[in-house]
Amino acid sequence: MFRPGVLLDTFLESFRNKMFLFFFVISSLIVASIGLFLNMDAVNGVMQGVEFLGNEIRVPALTVQRWVQMLQAGLAMLVATVGLFLALMATSTLFPQMLQKGSIDLLLCRPVSRWRIATARFAGGVGIMTFNAAYLFVGVWLVLGLKSDVWNRGFPLSTFLAIFAFVVLFSVVMMVSVITESSPAGALAAYTILIFSPILAAHERITPAFSNELYRRMFRSMYWLLPKSAETIGAMRRLILGQPLELGWIVGTSLVYALACYVVTIVYFTRKDY
Amino acid sequence: MSAAFEAISVSKTFRRWWKESGQVHALDDVSFAVEPGTIFGLLGPNGAGKTTLVKIALTIARPTTGEARLFGQSVRSRSILSRVGYLPENPRFPVHLTARQVLSFYGSLSGADMKRIRANSEKWLERLGLTQWATTRVSKFSKGMNERLAFAQALVHDPDFIFLDEPTDGLDPLGRAEVRNICRELAAAGKTIFINSHILAEIELICDRIALMKSGRIIEQGTIAELTTSRGGYEVIVASAEGLSAWLTEHRLTYAAVDGHFHVQAADRSSANAVIDALRQKGVEIESVNAKRRTLETVFLEKVSDV
Repeated sequence: MFRPGVLLDTFLESFRNKMFLFFFVISSLIVASIGLFLNMDAVNGVMQGVEFLGNEIRVPALTVQRWVQMLQAGLAMLVATVGLFLALMATSTLFPQMLQKGSIDLLLCRPVSRWRIATARFAGGVGIMTFNAAYLFVGVWLVLGLKSDVWNRGFPLSTFLAIFAFVVLFSVVMMVSVITESSPAGALAAYTILIFSPILAAHERITPAFSNELYRRMFRSMYWLLPKSAETIGAMRRLILGQPLELGWIVGTSLVYALACYVVTIVYFTRKDY
Repeated sequence: MSAAFEAISVSKTFRRWWKESGQVHALDDVSFAVEPGTIFGLLGPNGAGKTTLVKIALTIARPTTGEARLFGQSVRSRSILSRVGYLPENPRFPVHLTARQVLSFYGSLSGADMKRIRANSEKWLERLGLTQWATTRVSKFSKGMNERLAFAQALVHDPDFIFLDEPTDGLDPLGRAEVRNICRELAAAGKTIFINSHILAEIELICDRIALMKSGRIIEQGTIAELTTSRGGYEVIVASAEGLSAWLTEHRLTYAAVDGHFHVQAADRSSANAVIDALRQKGVEIESVNAKRRTLETVFLEKVSDV
């Protein structure tokens, strides 16, 4: 029988501890700023100038469509880096809080299997961030669309990639925080992967500099094993700018990594004595 | 009828991989049963393995060998846990929930229907003096209020078997009395209650049967009467009379003079009968004969220090 208790409780927890509110207010501020304070001046589909908060901003003579795409791509990059950091920090407490002594006992003594409890908690964290990302991306897309009449499908679609990047790193947070029962450890593990992913993404340029073949192989292996967060964020930009995409291997290898984290978490969680 | 709870050769060994001699035997071949509709007390010093046993019964921990059964069904199936309530030691609730939400949350996880949970929530909140705090977040609760709420969550889904781990911890005397009354009422209604405690007075007041645990083993079990009367001896009380003191001394009987009476001690039933016969032959009137009861504390101290 499906019991939404843990999933709903995760949502409720995020509402009450202001995590949801924080992201909602930030997203609303971004959408409102663009809607209220961004004025575009275009003649025959070519940008002439932009005014933001009463200040005139010089813009290159691009088409309105191109300019909107670039604005959306810039915003997406900001969200995918800063937003991802904040989202991981905010959700890193979800598992250690659940695992606290006296709290976990009250969950595990129910007729609900452990994998369901962990999965519901994970789904709750993903659900909160999905709602916030969708609200921000669709909000910005609507406001910019209404102002410029440019309806770039790539921008709302890139939400899926932003959420995917979060899901992959959140699976790392889940695995590390369930094993260590520590929020900082989970967040730090995910941050490490996120920070090193652009370095690993440049493996083709970096590995020739290594003197030893073993190091080259190790570096390449790390690239293939670890999730492709940098490439996922890069794919968002390409999707928004309408450039060709090769998503298969990026999503595939990252998904395998996330699934491995999930399986390790479930196996550990179902076997552990609390 | 099958036992409400059975521990069948349950052993639990914790391994510490980072230590050379790193094995801790928390439970060692523990077997016993709890009959339905009774209040059972598991007594033992800290670290005896009481909580580990309860956690195994609730699937919070897994046995190394053996099995725990509830109502004849292995706890591995988990579905049986819908008939079980649990009050852990030091319960911790999600701080963002109100008292009423706590009961709804845990009640729904236990698989009971929401209508019943809502009705039971109000009943137990009122009974435990928490109605006025029903919409207050548990982060604002005192230790005693938290403990009462924990007791309510253990009962909110109408379980047939209730595990209570140190149920009166943090409660004032009134709260303790109320918990005892509720336990008695539940047992009278056919529910089985398993109390885990090291507070001997509480156990003595409430439990039908008890088991003593030490170093992961059950070292004694039975009713309170069985445990406290066995090997306690007898006391024959007679009115003091001329020359009786000398006669008792002459027959090497141990006695004490209290308020004009002699309390003559006998080690066992046959000795007591022999003393009575001798006193009656001498024409001494017997006031009363009492089986000497040891307190549970005496039994506990004797057992946990002996074995």
